[in-house]
Amino acid sequence: MRKGATKTVAGPCLITLASLVLLFSSCLPTPPSESGGINLTVYGFSIMKEALEKSVYPGFSAKWKAEHGQEVHFTSSFAGSETVTNQILAGVKADIAILSIERDVTRLKDAGFVVADWQAFPQKGIINQTPFVILVARGNPKAIQDFPDLAKPGVRVIHPDPVSSGGAQWSILAIYGSELVKSAQESGEPDSARALQTVQAIWRNVKSTPGSAREARTQFELGYGDALVTYELEGLLMKQAGANVEVVVPRSTIFSEHPAVVIDRNVDATRRPLVEAFLRYLWSEDAQRAFVQYHFRSVTDESLNEAKPQLAKIELPFRIDYFGGWQRAYPEIIEKIFRDQVQRRK
Amino acid sequence: MSSLVPTMRHVRGFDVARPLSIGVLVIMMLPLVFLPLASIFIFGTSKGLASFWAALMAPEAVFALKLSMVTSFWATLFNVFFGLFAAYVLSRYNFWGRNALIVTISLPTAIPTAVAGFALLLLWGPYGLLGRFLAPNGIQTMFTAGAIILANIFVTFPLAFGVIKPVFDTMSRSLEEASATIGATRVQTFWHVTLPSLRGAIVSGALLTFARAVGEFGSTILVSGNLAGRTQTAPLYIFAKFNEGQIEAANAIAIVLALFSFLIFSVLFFARDWLDVD
Repeated sequence: MRKGATKTVAGPCLITLASLVLLFSSCLPTPPSESGGINLTVYGFSIMKEALEKSVYPGFSAKWKAEHGQEVHFTSSFAGSETVTNQILAGVKADIAILSIERDVTRLKDAGFVVADWQAFPQKGIINQTPFVILVARGNPKAIQDFPDLAKPGVRVIHPDPVSSGGAQWSILAIYGSELVKSAQESGEPDSARALQTVQAIWRNVKSTPGSAREARTQFELGYGDALVTYELEGLLMKQAGANVEVVVPRSTIFSEHPAVVIDRNVDATRRPLVEAFLRYLWSEDAQRAFVQYHFRSVTDESLNEAKPQLAKIELPFRIDYFGGWQRAYPEIIEKIFRDQVQRRK
Repeated sequence: MSSLVPTMRHVRGFDVARPLSIGVLVIMMLPLVFLPLASIFIFGTSKGLASFWAALMAPEAVFALKLSMVTSFWATLFNVFFGLFAAYVLSRYNFWGRNALIVTISLPTAIPTAVAGFALLLLWGPYGLLGRFLAPNGIQTMFTAGAIILANIFVTFPLAFGVIKPVFDTMSRSLEEASATIGATRVQTFWHVTLPSLRGAIVSGALLTFARAVGEFGSTILVSGNLAGRTQTAPLYIFAKFNEGQIEAANAIAIVLALFSFLIFSVLFFARDWLDVD
């Protein structure tokens, strides 16, 4: 190689490199939301997205600005409830978590991330609720009327993965509990063998277990299954968007109840008033109205729910209390029944 | 590198194997590569160019693309310097444990990227081996842009090294020796003699590293925190939008990344002749 050529190349190369470094070093992009003001970081389970981003965040920001003159920005991340909890346990700096299942709050509490009594907030910390329903293609080609129909041969069921999704756990409780409730109504005695058989039979038809309720919905929308067990609001959101779906309301089903908590470990004294103000705002008239607008059901004002005809009437509803709360439902049903007797014997 | 493709002439007249084999190659690639890529373009632009552009210009999308580029840039810069240095040391000196080092550098190729992600969490996370000493001092590495860079460095670790080292190995040492005999110092020899013949390897190593880092998903989803507009890279944005059912938004960014890697590999292909001077 000629010596002159080396020089002429090495020089410009070095200059280019150096200027590129300078160019990029000042160049970590600034977040679009961070133009002055305070930031609140909210980690939510998958289906909270629309109601929060389109209505609750703007509502609170406007209120806070009017009262305190400060700009509040929100940053949020949405995933399955268990995934969100694991992220917080691994150290993401969330101020508030909105979770699908109380069990995840317990996990945060056990690890010292939630210290204060979170149930001291209104409604024992539950911000909204929604029943579990079945979504099918328009016209209901597989003639699905209730949970046991999902076990019929040839029905392809999409069910989120209970390992990462809170909605998946609600769904299992919905199916299992509804068989208990119905059998108790028919014969006076809850038939746990029948309930187990139904869950087992349905899981033989499960073709895919996505990570969150929202992922499950996307798969369903892309045409991968005949039926999806999910939150009622997912079905209503899809119908609203003109999707080719129909909501099948089971005779008996569970109402999922969603807690919101302050991640005490990440919130210092100066930011606490803001964080708690936001948390309290979730039970305000405005926020509850926004939840109902996005097809959740209010926990504070039953009249909001009654004023909305799209919300289904459930003949035999039940709640987590039916199983003795999450502290019993998780070990007794999700672990002992689902994991040990359904999943491992599939 | 020669631009002439040697053609075989074992048959008289029309060689039917030629169009046949080209045809088979293209047909094989059709369902495996061409059509999947084409469907990204078809779905991404199905609602018209205006909505494609709107999806692309969403502030969170722009942020995600920028974040990917910047974090990949720093990972590339580090890995090229590291690869060059490691290749120099490992091909110039023979020492006990040398092969073990070479094998270790290559390991990230076969380690699942998710493992890379949680390995970093286990080290730097609040309970990690190092993280537990940093966290009380208010130093947080995970769930920041720094974590994304660390993850990118880990998964692209062997790439630049892998390209540069073989060139070092096969490099004729007579030039360097000649340089030394006329009184050049080690640094002068490296700068004026060794480095120029590595130019091609360095550029292709850098481009490969950069391309791979921009597309990294498995480790970043674990270490970044996936906050839209904050720690969400372009691949994470695509994943999030897809899961939310916003297929067009996901596709818009997917198209950008696809075009981007097309560009990088075109540069790699066409620049080779220009770079490999010796």
